[in-house]
Amino acid sequence: MTTYILRRILQTLMVIVILSYVCFSLMTLMPGDPIELMISANPKITQEDVVRLRAFYGLDQPTYVRYFNWVSEIAKGDLGYSRTYRIPVTEMMGPSLKATFVLSMGSLLFAIMVGIPLGIYCALKPNSKMDYLVNIFNFGGISIPSFFLGIVLIIIFSVGLGWLPAGGYQTTGMHYNNIFEELLDKAKYLILPILSLSVQSIGRFSRFSRSAMVEAMRNDFIRTARAKGMSEQVVIWKHGFRNALIPLITIVAISFSSVFSGALITESLFAYPGVGRLIYTSIIGNDFNVAMISFIISIAMVLLMNLVADLLYGAADPRISYK
Amino acid sequence: MKNLTGLLVVAMLVAACTKKDAGQTADVQAQGEAKLTNNELKIGISQEFENFNPLIASMLATTYMQRMVNRTLVVIDADGKWVPQLAKSIPSIENGTAKVIKVGGKEKLQATWELLDNAVWGDGTPVVCDDFALAVKIASSPNVGVGEKEVYTQVEKIELVDKNPKKCLFTYDKAKWDFYMMGTFYPLPKALEEAVFKKHGTQKEGYEKNSLYSKDPTNVGLFNGPYLISEIQLGDHVTFVPNPKFYGEQAKIKKIIVKLIPNTGTLEANLRSGTIDLISTLGLALDQALAFEKKIKSEGLGYQVLFQPSTVYEHIDLNLDNAFLKDVRVRKALNFAINKEDLTNALFEGKQQPAIHSITPRDPWFTADPAKVTIYKYNKREAERLLDEAGWKPGADGIRVKDGKRLSFTVMTTAGNKTRELVQVYLQNQWKQVGIEVNAKNEPARVFFGETTKKRAFDSMALFAWVSSPENTPKSTFSSKNIPTAKNGWSGQNYMGWSNAAVDKTLEALDTEMKNEKRIEMVHEVLKAYTDEVPVLPLYYRSDVAVIPNQLKGYRLTGHQFPETNVVELWNLE
Repeated sequence: MTTYILRRILQTLMVIVILSYVCFSLMTLMPGDPIELMISANPKITQEDVVRLRAFYGLDQPTYVRYFNWVSEIAKGDLGYSRTYRIPVTEMMGPSLKATFVLSMGSLLFAIMVGIPLGIYCALKPNSKMDYLVNIFNFGGISIPSFFLGIVLIIIFSVGLGWLPAGGYQTTGMHYNNIFEELLDKAKYLILPILSLSVQSIGRFSRFSRSAMVEAMRNDFIRTARAKGMSEQVVIWKHGFRNALIPLITIVAISFSSVFSGALITESLFAYPGVGRLIYTSIIGNDFNVAMISFIISIAMVLLMNLVADLLYGAADPRISYK
Repeated sequence: MKNLTGLLVVAMLVAACTKKDAGQTADVQAQGEAKLTNNELKIGISQEFENFNPLIASMLATTYMQRMVNRTLVVIDADGKWVPQLAKSIPSIENGTAKVIKVGGKEKLQATWELLDNAVWGDGTPVVCDDFALAVKIASSPNVGVGEKEVYTQVEKIELVDKNPKKCLFTYDKAKWDFYMMGTFYPLPKALEEAVFKKHGTQKEGYEKNSLYSKDPTNVGLFNGPYLISEIQLGDHVTFVPNPKFYGEQAKIKKIIVKLIPNTGTLEANLRSGTIDLISTLGLALDQALAFEKKIKSEGLGYQVLFQPSTVYEHIDLNLDNAFLKDVRVRKALNFAINKEDLTNALFEGKQQPAIHSITPRDPWFTADPAKVTIYKYNKREAERLLDEAGWKPGADGIRVKDGKRLSFTVMTTAGNKTRELVQVYLQNQWKQVGIEVNAKNEPARVFFGETTKKRAFDSMALFAWVSSPENTPKSTFSSKNIPTAKNGWSGQNYMGWSNAAVDKTLEALDTEMKNEKRIEMVHEVLKAYTDEVPVLPLYYRSDVAVIPNQLKGYRLTGHQFPETNVVELWNLE
């Protein structure tokens, strides 16, 4: 087991290095650079300024040289300096990652808590009225684009009813007397983005868990368990649900891998200062240091959660072993 | 589940029921307006901002906010005139406070800038000549990535006059007429920033990373404007509070929050739900502003939409290497065939003005005098005559042909820009009426600006805008030295490939011409050649838009690079 984990971690590191070079090269292939943006914003910038700044930022160097320089700095523990925001990457990414984690984790947990029980309930009562109703909701949820749903939510709850704020992550300039006050204030700003993000996930989780559970409940061992006189709860949770877990672990683990990647559309729509917007801005502005760190976090999370999923398969199903 | 569904249905019903008629809304808004006081004003912007170090910052949103916390020697006011800010007056050759000197056979210029006696940094330290000298020293360092370096490096030396720390003698490296245009020349607080530069200035980007503007951005000693920064969160908002030590009139609004709402589609919802109180010039697009203005009128909302003609010039660069466009008659015909008045009325409801050349009406150099520039009023017959004269005869499908070739062009612009795409369609239709076929080909902005225009890779026409400033010499876009080529590393913005020896000569001479009247004459000579030879098809001058609450007083849009925040201390909600 330990050897397996170590081997996978080594593979993960190698994949990160290879993919980081690929991402770096792809970014350099994009037309334009941060200096182009400066020219468009400043009518007085001279050609001498352009040449000087390109040399200063090393933008006139070949890709492999720039990549090597970047990796050398990373190895020294310096994540670099954001060309767009003009501050060190570490200082800038921290708050955004935290904000995105709260939003993504909140919506994911909400989707899991609603979607999976709904799916199981429908699987246990297939073709019932409730099953049809949930199915309609699921298809609706999967089909509605989050930007559209977001706008509808803003119009209803912010503009129409005035119950919830239209955007942001906290009441700006507000000073909190205690942590509960802070939590309450911030929670108010999270409701609409979490709803907008999780409706699609609820549909997905519910559909997956329903089909996995329906499949599991059709097995012979379920009939045997019932014949042995086991209680319905034991049959459902110990025999049925455990066997339905494998596909669910995969989809939930993959969903967890995106908790640090951000949700660009939702974050932009609700003016939420998360990492999704940061990645978008850094790619558009050719802000290599920020974009690359974001890529690496995303890649690492996908690989890590795949590893976690593989390990959880073993825990859920004793027939799976690691050698 | 039943409860959840019920709740949603109820919410929607209530929302539907809360749709008010115009009268009701006006009442509610009036109540909302009454809540707006000088205690707080929340401004919405849709563009990202950065670190506030004035030497390093280059984003428009940062410039917008920078003027709230930092002032410069001079600035252009809302009437388009240069006025002093930190300086007591603007030096000039006429009043003897500036003079041309000769050093080693080279002409240089010396000017005496006297700073306001009561100009101090937020911590009470006086703003002195040494603060400007430090800015020059840091900007000149090869280890610091300053954008517009020449603004600082044009000043060779700053000395004290009569040992007065507030009386500075600036020696400029060249004797240029525009020496006083120092609206982007910011001082840096020597008491705080010199030590950082001494310690980290020898490392590449060492100063940027360790400057107090990065490490301690709310330090009051970094700012000398009417406001101080009390809180900053990149990507979200900046909070400003009045600077009690500001040299001028005390700011009336006790707290200003500038909030980033990147999606312009939700700016209006944020305004109407009270998340923000005002949408700045860095917010709505013109079409959104026009639509919102109608809602304000129909629903009686307590806002007003302000439109201000700006120095942004929307135009089409013609690639003069194109075989058909080499003929000036074809270029003139293209110009005559555009009904710009109709275009601006149809698409912008007359809120943007038709353009006649590159200099906007906000600029003192502007002229619409037919004796000085060639004016192309819409004239379909003249366009057809010119094309006939050039040998282009109507083909079977109405499109003109010559030697078996169709008179066909491609107009390229930035994909996703709704206004430009509408303009493209409008122009296609107008040109078709005189027998010119034009196809549209659009690209993402970064490809269009980063590759296509930069390398002159557009087949015939490129539709975009130039951001200018009053009395800005058009050398970078008109001089033949600035035609981008592989040889010069694709530098320069003369994307048309326009070459006119007389224009080049005039532009060179313009830099050192000290007489204002003569300069205007020279600029008009250049404009005459520009409008005669038609290397560019002028379309319209863009307008800045902002949405403000009715009760806000003292708010004036400027239409140029120095935004309305220049006079933020005059804003008043009561």
